[in-house]
Amino acid sequence: MSAATDHSAPQIQPYRTGLRPEILGLIIFLVSEAALFGAFFMYYANLRVLNGIVWPGEFDIPAEATSINTLILVLSSFTCEFALLSLYKRKNGAVFAWLLATFILGAIFLGLQVEEYRIVGFTPQDEATGAIFFTLTGLHGVHVFIGLVLLLLGMIRALAGRWSPERHSGLLAISIYWHFVDIVWVLLFTVVYCLPSS
Amino acid sequence: MTAVLKPTLARCLWVAPAFAALAILITVAARSIFGMTPVLQESTLLTVAYIAGGIGFIVGIGGFDYWFTWMKGGELDPNDHSQHGARSWGDYFKFNTDHKVIGIQYIVFTFIMFLVGGMFAEVFRSELARPGQQVLTDQQYSGLISQHGVIMIFVFMVPVFAGIGNYVIPLMIGAADMAFPRLNALSFWLLPVAAFTLLSSFMFGSFDGGWTGYPTLSEQSGYGMTLYQLGIQLAGASSIATAVNFLVTIITMRAPGMTLFRMPLLVWANLATSALVVAATPFIAGAQFMAMFDREMGTHFFTVAGGGDTLVYQHIFWFYSHPAVYIMILPGFGIISEVIATHARKPVFGYRAVAFSSAGIAILGFAVWAHHMFASGMEPWLRVPIMLSTLLIAIPTGIKIFSWLGTMWGGVLRMTTANLFAIGFIFTFVIGGLSGVMLAVVPFDVSITNSYFIVAHFHYVLFGGSIMTIYAGFYHWFPKVTGRMYNEVVGRWHFWITFVAMNITFFPMHYQGLVGMPRRVADYAPEFAWSNMVISLAAFVLGASTLIFVYNMIHSARHGKKAGANPWGGLTLEWLLSSPPPIFNFPATPRVIGGPYRYGEEGAKHAIVPEVEPATVETTV
Repeated sequence: MSAATDHSAPQIQPYRTGLRPEILGLIIFLVSEAALFGAFFMYYANLRVLNGIVWPGEFDIPAEATSINTLILVLSSFTCEFALLSLYKRKNGAVFAWLLATFILGAIFLGLQVEEYRIVGFTPQDEATGAIFFTLTGLHGVHVFIGLVLLLLGMIRALAGRWSPERHSGLLAISIYWHFVDIVWVLLFTVVYCLPSS
Repeated sequence: MTAVLKPTLARCLWVAPAFAALAILITVAARSIFGMTPVLQESTLLTVAYIAGGIGFIVGIGGFDYWFTWMKGGELDPNDHSQHGARSWGDYFKFNTDHKVIGIQYIVFTFIMFLVGGMFAEVFRSELARPGQQVLTDQQYSGLISQHGVIMIFVFMVPVFAGIGNYVIPLMIGAADMAFPRLNALSFWLLPVAAFTLLSSFMFGSFDGGWTGYPTLSEQSGYGMTLYQLGIQLAGASSIATAVNFLVTIITMRAPGMTLFRMPLLVWANLATSALVVAATPFIAGAQFMAMFDREMGTHFFTVAGGGDTLVYQHIFWFYSHPAVYIMILPGFGIISEVIATHARKPVFGYRAVAFSSAGIAILGFAVWAHHMFASGMEPWLRVPIMLSTLLIAIPTGIKIFSWLGTMWGGVLRMTTANLFAIGFIFTFVIGGLSGVMLAVVPFDVSITNSYFIVAHFHYVLFGGSIMTIYAGFYHWFPKVTGRMYNEVVGRWHFWITFVAMNITFFPMHYQGLVGMPRRVADYAPEFAWSNMVISLAAFVLGASTLIFVYNMIHSARHGKKAGANPWGGLTLEWLLSSPPPIFNFPATPRVIGGPYRYGEEGAKHAIVPEVEPATVETTV
């Protein structure tokens, strides 16, 4: 009954091994993620360019404080990459340490974002400006949260000794995802925080 | 007892409600801790219950079992095929990783949804048969037309092509399965959840703002509107997951020797469609998120009073939904190329032009969305560029039409039911295409906007286009899927009744629209009585003709005569396997040695399938 013991069962694997399907699939998925952010950026651009809304209006978006947060997230991209580099050098302990560092930096970022929500002085229900500010940063925050979960899983697997230079697709995928989240943030920070209406 | 613990539908029955109940508990707890009033906000609780219940259903069916092992840091066996292949009836109701099983699950499920959506149409056609209101209230009428549109588009036409592609594409490219079999199964099982979410909105007064769900209508509707927004998210997630899978499968898993220009045209069409799905579907997700936040959280994305912009919903919505039109027809184009080449015994005329025109349609498809909004009061400068790009997109479509005509020209046409549907499709699709070109012209569009002319146009391209190709595909691959032939005589009856009834149903709508009958209204002026009666009668015949098809498929699958491996004499890879194909498709890695449509060449072959895997063959190219 079980096909696992079926002798006729061939390995289901790609014929073109030059391209790793899981990484290609992740990149295609990230294109679709970028399009999801694109929908919200489209709304934002429409609001500012076509409707001519003064951004951020009477609201105060703390660009200076958030620039430090941006630095923290950019730094975490490097620590994430170091984890991968340590894996290629077969330093399993370092892999765990760098992942942990990335996780901590990401968690600090998320914590500071939540703190910003608390002190920013307006809510998603305040005008379209508030709605799109909270939705864009919130959608990104959800992605950071998913990234943190993935990093946690990466650490669990690192402790279980599941990563090796030969089997590292999962870790590579986590790091690509983390870089994506980082890049989206840099873009978001630039247009939402640093581009006030003159 | 163990049946409720194993990944089965039985497990769903308790896991899904458990998830929903848990989510409600957490929400109530959170609301009371943060002091939100009222604590028992009904719409919020329903929404979280639907989301969590949907996830619970997927967990119950076993969608996450494998990944859960990964998450725990467990060791995985990439060659664990225990969920692969159907050995009995019951396997079709389980989480199955075999692309052939998933293809059948998709096709059967979406076809049932087609019947459901068709029933809605029959109900409101009986309302429209005579002036005045006899059967439905305005509210019910609006609910039914909205449901009809949404069910047909999101749980029939988009996913049924994913189903046909699922069955055929891996066979056509010589692969053992899709690249991500578990993701594939997951994307199928999202569909019943989406369908349940959409259909259950009837319990809350349904959504009644039309299938487009425009604000401000959507913000005033009852709770059913939120379920529309959720259901579309689920169906969209399913189609993105499938598209990622198709892209990776087609890019990485083609058999040795299958270069891009040796791919069958259905594979090309699916490549273009999947790229469209990946890039466009998130936009409708974004639009629905914003609309849902407006409804459920009181944000002001689309409410002008709160500084929002109502029109931008339409921009974002059509930025997906226009490409969606091509998502619903490009795979159909691919099917028609396969069917006509095989049944005319000739190579496809202008193979490369057809392949590139698929890509061209996919790219141009992103530049035409605003032609749905000519009359909406959008920025006037956008009108002319969009009109031009819309007219431009007729060119790659025309290339395909001429390719099919050129393929048939001088061929030895076999008038099987599959080919009849393909030829009928060209006829009706050209009518729909021509009215599309008319609608692209701004002054014409503005003068007949929101009339029955629009209804006539999109039913000619969706019924006369997509559904005819779906039927052609069903008949063409029926022998491959079941191993038996369908009844040709019954099939021809089905074709002719469908074709004639379809034209009588939708052609008079052109006239009605031109003289000013508005769509989406349950009642109409007395001068339309005669034409509406004709349309309604034809619609009933059209509905009945579907039953002929259902009978033919069910009866022939059990009692039809044996088909053999290759009843049509096709050259593409799927015909080189037995019917139905073995559980793991190819006994050994096939090698592709020529183009896919070398009909008419003496002894020409597209590919060779060795009987056993030679020990020395290098399978990486």
